[in-house]
Parts: sequence; C-alpha cells; structure tokens
Amino acid sequence: MPPLLTIAFLTLREATRRRVLWFLGGASLIAIGLSTWGFAKLAGSTSEPAALVAIESVLVVLLAYAFSVLLAIAAAFLASSAIAADVDSGIALALLPRPFSRAEYVLGKWLGLAVLMVAFAFVVGGLEFASIGLVAGYQPPHPFGALTYLSAEALTLLTLALLASTRLPAIAGGIAVVAAFGASWIAGIVGSIAGALQREDVQHGATAVGLLLPTDGLWRGAAFELQPVALLLAQEANQNARAQNPFASTAPPPEAFLLWSFCWMIAVLAVACYSFTRREI
Amino acid sequence: MRAAALDTLAVAKRFGEKTALYDLTMTVGRGEAFGFLGPNGAGKTTAVKIFLGLVRPTSGACEVLGAPLGDREARRKIGYLPELFRYQGWLTSAEVLGLHADLLGLPRAGRAAAIADTLELVGLGARAADRVETYSKGMQQRLGLGVALLGEPDLVFLDEPTSALDPVGRNDVRVIVESLKARGATVFLNSHLLTEVERVCDRVAVVDKGRVVASGSIDEMLGATTSVRLHLSGVDAGAIATLRSFGKLEIDAPWFVVSGIGDDAVPGLVRRLVADGAEIHAVEPSRATLEERFLQLLKVPDAAVIDDRVSHPA
Repeated sequence: MPPLLTIAFLTLREATRRRVLWFLGGASLIAIGLSTWGFAKLAGSTSEPAALVAIESVLVVLLAYAFSVLLAIAAAFLASSAIAADVDSGIALALLPRPFSRAEYVLGKWLGLAVLMVAFAFVVGGLEFASIGLVAGYQPPHPFGALTYLSAEALTLLTLALLASTRLPAIAGGIAVVAAFGASWIAGIVGSIAGALQREDVQHGATAVGLLLPTDGLWRGAAFELQPVALLLAQEANQNARAQNPFASTAPPPEAFLLWSFCWMIAVLAVACYSFTRREI
Repeated sequence: MRAAALDTLAVAKRFGEKTALYDLTMTVGRGEAFGFLGPNGAGKTTAVKIFLGLVRPTSGACEVLGAPLGDREARRKIGYLPELFRYQGWLTSAEVLGLHADLLGLPRAGRAAAIADTLELVGLGARAADRVETYSKGMQQRLGLGVALLGEPDLVFLDEPTSALDPVGRNDVRVIVESLKARGATVFLNSHLLTEVERVCDRVAVVDKGRVVASGSIDEMLGATTSVRLHLSGVDAGAIATLRSFGKLEIDAPWFVVSGIGDDAVPGLVRRLVADGAEIHAVEPSRATLEERFLQLLKVPDAAVIDDRVSHPA
C-alpha cells in the first residue's frame, strides 16, 4: 500500500479509536432526535399546507446551517491537530524518517480526514433529511446537492486547518480557522447589505474576503439547494429581505466561483505540503 | 567498496543566532558500533536529526549509507529510536510495528512473524495485543527499540536508548547492540551512560558545544595504563625521585599513585624501586574510565588527569 494511503487509513483509524467519531455521531443523533421530534410536533400543529411547507423549509435551512457550523468546527479542530499533535507529542519523530515524503504525509492526513468529514456529512445529513421526511412528510428539493456543498465547505476549512497544523500548535490553529470561518460568514452578510444599499466599495471588500475563504459562498450554495421554488420566488420579489438574510440564496454559486473554490483548495493543500516539507522537526 | 555508513564533512547547523553544530566532520564505518557522546545541549540530537532528514544542515555535506541526505532507499535501511519516544497510544504494539512495516514496504509474507519476533526480542511478546497507552515508559522505550530494529536495518540510530530502562533492560540493549554488530549492522549510539558506551562501542566521538572535541577507538580514547597505585614501605628520597620521574605522584602512605604512566613503563618502575631499596607489597595498574576521559575532555574541574593520546580536531 502506498505510504499516502497508509497515513490516510491511520488517520481514519485514529478517529475511530479515539472515539472522535462516536462523540460526533452521538451528539448528531441527539440533535437529529430533537429536531425530528420538533418537526413531528410542527406537522400536527397547523392544517394550512402552504404555511407549513414555508415554515419547514426555513427550519430545514436553519438546521443545515447549524450542521454546517458543527462540520466547520469539527473540520477545523480535527485538522488543526492532525499534524501539530504528532509533532508536539514526538510521534512524528519516529514516523517521518521512514521512506516517504512529507507531502505524502500531509496528503494522507488530508485524505483520511476528508473521507471522514464527507462520510459524516452525508450519513448524518442524510439521516436528518430522511427522518424529517418520515415524520413530517417534507423533503428539501435537492438534499444531495446541499450535502455536497456542505461537504465542500467542510473540506475547505479542513484544508486551511491542515495548513495551520503544519506550523501552529493545534489549539491556535483551530481557533484561527474558526475565526476565519466566522469572518467569511460576516463578510457574506456585509456584502449582501452593501449590495442592497448600493455601496459597491464595501461589496467589493466583502467579495474579496469571501474569495480568500470561500466557505460562505459554498454555504449559500447549500442554502439554495434546500429552498423550495415558492420560497425562492418570494425572495426574488423581496430583494431587501434576501439581501439581509444570510440563510437564503436565490441563485446557485457561479461556476467561476466553484472553480475558484476548487483551485483554492488545491493551492492551499500545495502550500501545506511545502510548509511541512520545509519544517524542521 | 561499500560506502561508509555515515560520512560528514564540515556539517554545521544554526537556529537563528544560535549555532547548534560547528564543522562536524566524521566517518562511521559499516558494522561499527559508534558512540556519540556529549553533555546536554552539545548538539548530539541535532546531528542525528540531520542524518535522518528531520533537520536541514545550514552548510556542509553528508552522506548516509552512501546516499545523499533524505534519500528514500537509504531511509528504508535506517532504524531510529528517538530520545523523545512516543508512539500511537491508541494502537497496540503489534499494530505500531505493522504501521512501520507498511511504511517500510516490507513484504506481506512473513511480516507477522517478523513483528512477533521483534516484539519478543525487545521483551514485549506477551503485551503485543495491548494498547501502547497502557505501557510504562520503559515498555514504550522497548517498543521504540523494536520499531528501530524492524526490517533488519543496515544503520540504527539509538538516541539515549536506555534512559527509561531498568538494569535488565539496559543489559537487553547491550545484547541487542552486540547482535546488530554481529550481523554487520552499524549502530550509532547517543548516550550519557558512558559505561555502556565503553562496553559496546568500537569507536566514539565526543562533542561539546557543537564541536567534536575528540574521536577515536575506545582504546585510543582511554590510552594504555594511565596510572599505577603502589603499596610501598622503606621508601626514601631516592625512591620518591624515581616515582616522580615516571609521572605525577600523589602520596597517601603507604600508597603511592603515579599518574600518566604507560603500560610498558610499569615493570621498569618496579625494577627501579627495588634497586632503590623500597619494599613492594602491591602494584595496581589502572586505566582511566571513559567517564574520566569524557570529563577531562569537557574540562570539568577535578577530572582525572590522564595522558592525551587521542586525536583532537584542529
């Protein structure tokens, strides 16, 4: 087996053995149980189907947002400790002299964590959507697309946190990445408000922040995939409300943005490989 | 002819303003047990990290197993027990060795037997299925030794390999080093425990403040007999003069200690003392220990005074 895959499997095994997965899974199951109970109660509380769908669709987007924050924090802290913890503890001293490159080590860590985060996003997200569908009969229009965007958002943060992990202590890296995630989200809101107020200079600044860390744009993609057509049309009619709502999007992210996000991830991963290759242990 | 196990030329390493290594030039032959000695902060671990590709030298040239630093094939033939030994606590020791076997690319066939044999060799056979987090520090160091020995490496770096071991463990390490030498592997031993180095190493280098201050074989380092202790009676001024003519004299009557005397000079001294009329009850030649030599090289006050036959780099 190539060393890259060995490191990836080791990373996955560590997550399982150290009960990170079980903790995340347990917390998610509790959240799914509570939200499903809430949807069941909601379904029985009104007889107006259109109003119910409108409420349910908004709640699903809010749940997805909460899930995206959980994914972001998990990705940031798992990845920020992935390399830093090995270096700080001394585990890296025995591993790194083995016949493989530092880049293989970084890519193996990334691959293991990426598989973990994407699997977590799809299993927990899929379970949430399925249970809501079962008790309330509501299905968002494109759950697969939404989970793909959420996974991409998690991978973006994971990649940035892994870069931080090549140089910073685990906690410092995790906090820095979560702070950057928050900044990107705030920039998205500021950009929307600036658009509504026709303040192009502020809007450009917010766009630049959104490109430096494209998580908010990816979140908007997830939100778009979850909104029913009726809600989208209502938002189109009310530009002001849309502009100030960080949980709504009337259009999918442009292809150029998706390409940028992909290239951003590759570039940050390349910098992480270079950074760790140059690091003295 | 096969290249040396380790060949360095003027290797230096600076960390910002601080220089950890100056002009490290040395050769370690294949099949040797080489002791690399020095006080804390002397640059020993930095040197080993350079040889392993963990740290880049600021200047100088270095070859390990005839290949440039970091060469992948050479790294396949190197084992390393770090001074700070830590392994994945959430794996069992057999799994840790399995991980390193994967990274080394050891063939699947016979791998399980190799892992079991290695664990048996380092005394962990009975704990192979236990997680490393349940191990004592000494057991973790034994595991580190097993990791270093996996795959029959040609060159093994052992950085303070007995720091957490009890006397039984230290003896085990000695046996393992001897067995490595017996199969032709090179052992590079960083250690503070000079008696162990003296027992297992063929050659040593002493490093202090980032410079090699002396190197040579153990015999060269220690010299021949460096002092002789005599129990005498009937000693007059002539006998005293004779004693002084052979070296530095310390008197603690009836014992007389002459330092800085060679092996071959002792019979002559005895003959001269007899001729001077002294009665000789006991003659105890002794050689400086590596520890005494080490302290002398590091210019520690009150270190034993011994002669200087060891090569000193300019």
